[in-house]
Amino acid sequence: MGKQMTEMLKGTLEGIVLAILTRRPAYGYEITAWLRDQGFAEIAEGTVYALLVRIEQRGLVDVEKVPSEKGPPRKVYSLNAQGRAHLDEFWKTWNFLVERIEQLHHVQTDNTEREG
Amino acid sequence: MAAKWIETVIGSLEQKKQYRQYKARVQALPEPYHQAAKALERYLMYSSGLTDGDTMMTMFADFADLWERAAADETPVRAIVGDDPVEFAETFAAAYSGKQWIDKERARLIKAIDEAAAGDAAGGADGRDVDA
Repeated sequence: MGKQMTEMLKGTLEGIVLAILTRRPAYGYEITAWLRDQGFAEIAEGTVYALLVRIEQRGLVDVEKVPSEKGPPRKVYSLNAQGRAHLDEFWKTWNFLVERIEQLHHVQTDNTEREG
Repeated sequence: MAAKWIETVIGSLEQKKQYRQYKARVQALPEPYHQAAKALERYLMYSSGLTDGDTMMTMFADFADLWERAAADETPVRAIVGDDPVEFAETFAAAYSGKQWIDKERARLIKAIDEAAAGDAAGGADGRDVDA
């Protein structure tokens, strides 16, 4: 993925992860694996972890420590009411941006067609 | 009283204990996780800009969790850190919004611009010379 993709993902990854957590609670590795399956191939596990820590600190998720077969307990994250409200806000912002940017795109495509 | 005075000078004893525990956890990591964690730790110390010991200890405890988990799962270092270690370290530190040394300068900048912007209102409506 290019630099542009990295930059754009930076602003949207939080919304993406919150959206994933609406399906069911998950731990960091599951979220990263799911993102990879969905084609977000180059998101580092540590980046997702850092994001989970951030949304935990801001109170958007509840955390439960679940013992694991090997290693330290896994932190399982689930979306809480505040997180759901934040996700609604994310979708509103996202839809607004998509609409505006698509409009710019159409203007540009129309002009190119006229010139060509 | 004496204990309190000492703590203001050398940091809280509880934090010192937490810091020693953290150090031991990193020390116990197998390679290459130990090596990677040490390198990132060094950078985080410089770049996080945190002056608040509690926040810093929370950050390092989470940081140790991350590497212990990675070592247990045998996740490759590159898969944890990604292509850009600097970016990773900065994203990680950004999750912890404790007091930073730069806060004082941020407050100063905001106040200075507020004062400058107040000058706008005193002039024309758009802040430019009316008779230009």
